[in-house]
Amino acid sequence: MRRSIVAAGCASLALLTTTACSGSGGAAAEAATCDGTIDGPVTLTSFYHGGGAEKETFLAQVEAFNASQDQVTVEVQSVPEGTYGDSVRAAAASGDLPHILDFDGPNLYNYAWNGDLIPLDSCVSPELKADLLPSITAQGTYDGKLYGVGSFDSGVLLYAYRSALEEVGARIPTGIDDAWTAEEFTDILGRLQDAGYDSPLDAHMWYGRQGEWFSYAFSPIVQSAGGDLIDRTDFSSADGTLNSPEAVEAMSVFQEWFENGYVDTEAQDDSPFLNKTSPISWNGMWAYANGYHEAAGDDLVALPLPDFGTGSKTGMGSWQFGITRETEDPDAAWAFLEFLLQEENQLMTYETVGAPPSRISVLEKAEIYAEDGPLALVTESLRESPRIAVPRPQTPAYPAITQAFAQAVDDISNGGDVQAALDEAVRRIDQDITDNGGYPAFE
Amino acid sequence: MPPATAAPGTPVAAGPPGRSAPATAPAKNRRARRGRELRAGLLFSLPAVVLLLLFMVAPFVSALVLSFTDQRLVSPRPVSFVGLENYVRVLTDAQFWGALTNNVVFALIVVPLQTGAALGLAVLVNRRLPGRVLFRTIYFLPTVTVMAVAATVWKLLLLPDGGMVNGVLDTLTFGQLQPGWLSSTSWAMPAIVITSIWQGVGFQMIIFLAGLQAIPASLYEAATMDGANAWQQFRNVTLPGLRNTLIFVLNVTVIFAFRLFDQVYIMPQFPGGPLDSTRTMMLQLLQTGYGRGLIGQASAIAVIFFLFVLAVTLVQRRFSREERAVQ
Repeated sequence: MRRSIVAAGCASLALLTTTACSGSGGAAAEAATCDGTIDGPVTLTSFYHGGGAEKETFLAQVEAFNASQDQVTVEVQSVPEGTYGDSVRAAAASGDLPHILDFDGPNLYNYAWNGDLIPLDSCVSPELKADLLPSITAQGTYDGKLYGVGSFDSGVLLYAYRSALEEVGARIPTGIDDAWTAEEFTDILGRLQDAGYDSPLDAHMWYGRQGEWFSYAFSPIVQSAGGDLIDRTDFSSADGTLNSPEAVEAMSVFQEWFENGYVDTEAQDDSPFLNKTSPISWNGMWAYANGYHEAAGDDLVALPLPDFGTGSKTGMGSWQFGITRETEDPDAAWAFLEFLLQEENQLMTYETVGAPPSRISVLEKAEIYAEDGPLALVTESLRESPRIAVPRPQTPAYPAITQAFAQAVDDISNGGDVQAALDEAVRRIDQDITDNGGYPAFE
Repeated sequence: MPPATAAPGTPVAAGPPGRSAPATAPAKNRRARRGRELRAGLLFSLPAVVLLLLFMVAPFVSALVLSFTDQRLVSPRPVSFVGLENYVRVLTDAQFWGALTNNVVFALIVVPLQTGAALGLAVLVNRRLPGRVLFRTIYFLPTVTVMAVAATVWKLLLLPDGGMVNGVLDTLTFGQLQPGWLSSTSWAMPAIVITSIWQGVGFQMIIFLAGLQAIPASLYEAATMDGANAWQQFRNVTLPGLRNTLIFVLNVTVIFAFRLFDQVYIMPQFPGGPLDSTRTMMLQLLQTGYGRGLIGQASAIAVIFFLFVLAVTLVQRRFSREERAVQ
């Protein structure tokens, strides 16, 4: 809170209007660029989210990188995922940002706007840039500059037990274009419930604490209905977009699933789907390798999310890496990021996490995402971005948008009035944009 | 120190403290000594005063100043003075009033329940029963547990499927009562109340225990001689003897109750949920300041929160002073 005290000091000296007391000031500083050489041995710090296999793989790669050369040493500091965004903002406010930052994709625009990140354009080689998935560069770009790269992408989909669907005579979609319609999906959930599955859908509401899940997984509902989290023509308002009649209707269908008890809201882990008590699961592509395939075997089918009117949509984007303004020698930091993007490291991450590699040349070698692989529909969605895999809104207002929408999803799933919940989300988003003067670019 | 022969608690004979200066001492000496005492007093209180200024007064002044600005957690935009805008926004926000109401409801339920339970436990473990040290330890253990851990454990106990609480309820009510504790708007607050009382009651119990042991045994002997039964002894000896302890416990419990945060952050699926039924002022403060980055607006909440707790405490102090006057 050092900066707040400074700010308070400034304020009490009635210097409020002078720029001496302005915010992070990072935007004013000249951003460092890559010049192709690493200047002497340097130790870099990096934040890392989460845990489990993903983190172990990352740490192994950090170790391998540190051992591979003697110019750069990377030290990793773990930050819990649930409050990761808050931790980063607090670190930025107190000038304690690490040199290398990992972040859930869409927060990038706010960090870049704040001047916390430096553009990577001078670091990335044209060959590498051309090899990155279009969804990855779309997600990493703000104001025409690339600020983040991810070593893998992601997607949301439905998993189901084929046998359970056959049991109730449900049609099994063969691709994204013949996804279940919302009514069809609701009907199938009802039939499954009648067949004895008390809560047939596992929507992973317990992920709700993990910051992004509600926005990442359920905004495709709004987008599929023809709405969106914000009007993307100028990113200045969500009014009429997030609370449009189509969005309200789609979210009412979503609410109906909860009211009818179709959704297992009490689960605290993956067990409802693994035990087949909920034969349909709304989950990310990571679940395939993390137990689903093992539990269901050949009975497992991967399906697109339901179509609410304008075609099936899905979420995309994952954790990315950027270089912060604390870095004096971006070449050193980039050397590390480039290392993470190397084919063998991407494949290692793919094998342990099951995520689609972000380089097209590597993605082709990932079996489950291959053309006839079990998750081919994820690859297709990502390649068809933004028509199918929709990036979360590329605006510095994103932290406010995701918080408002997540609150709305929670309220709606608990029986709150749909129109009121979305109107309130719109009010909060628009308020945030107004408060920030429409987020003008600071150069 | 009372003389060793006096019964514990017997008032020491009134009189000037033994080391008071002789009245004949010259005024100059007295002044010099006063000066030395003053210096020593200042010196001894200095660390505490510095810490208080640094960690209590300065942040509060800082919050007060910030509450009139649009200070953000991080933003390249210059900070500007916005007058009462933050206060207007906070006070017209239904969510804020909901949070305040939850805080008040929580305090109204928890303070009497927890204080009563603590008193009951203290009386219980104050008896000369075998194994009473063990019981004291058991009742006090939750207090030593970090609230976050307690909340996590209770979250598991309260799970509708496979949670122990519903398992017991299932047996007791033949499956009639199976609340979805943390996912239902009507059960979430009771769940938080149960957890909070379980965790906090041991602390109050220990304070009551200390209070109980300060009541002279001779009073009970006299009461027994007068033929008072157990209830009459409790009513006429124990309760009056505990009056100051009781006031202290009530004060502390009220302040703790308004600080409610860990439980409502950890236990519901979504902090403060479902449908804001467990949202509290502290949660509102944190989410406004850190989640939404609105430091100015969060400061306004902090100031309002401070004034509110101050008002409650002043009312309580007034009440407790009257109680002391009775004594």
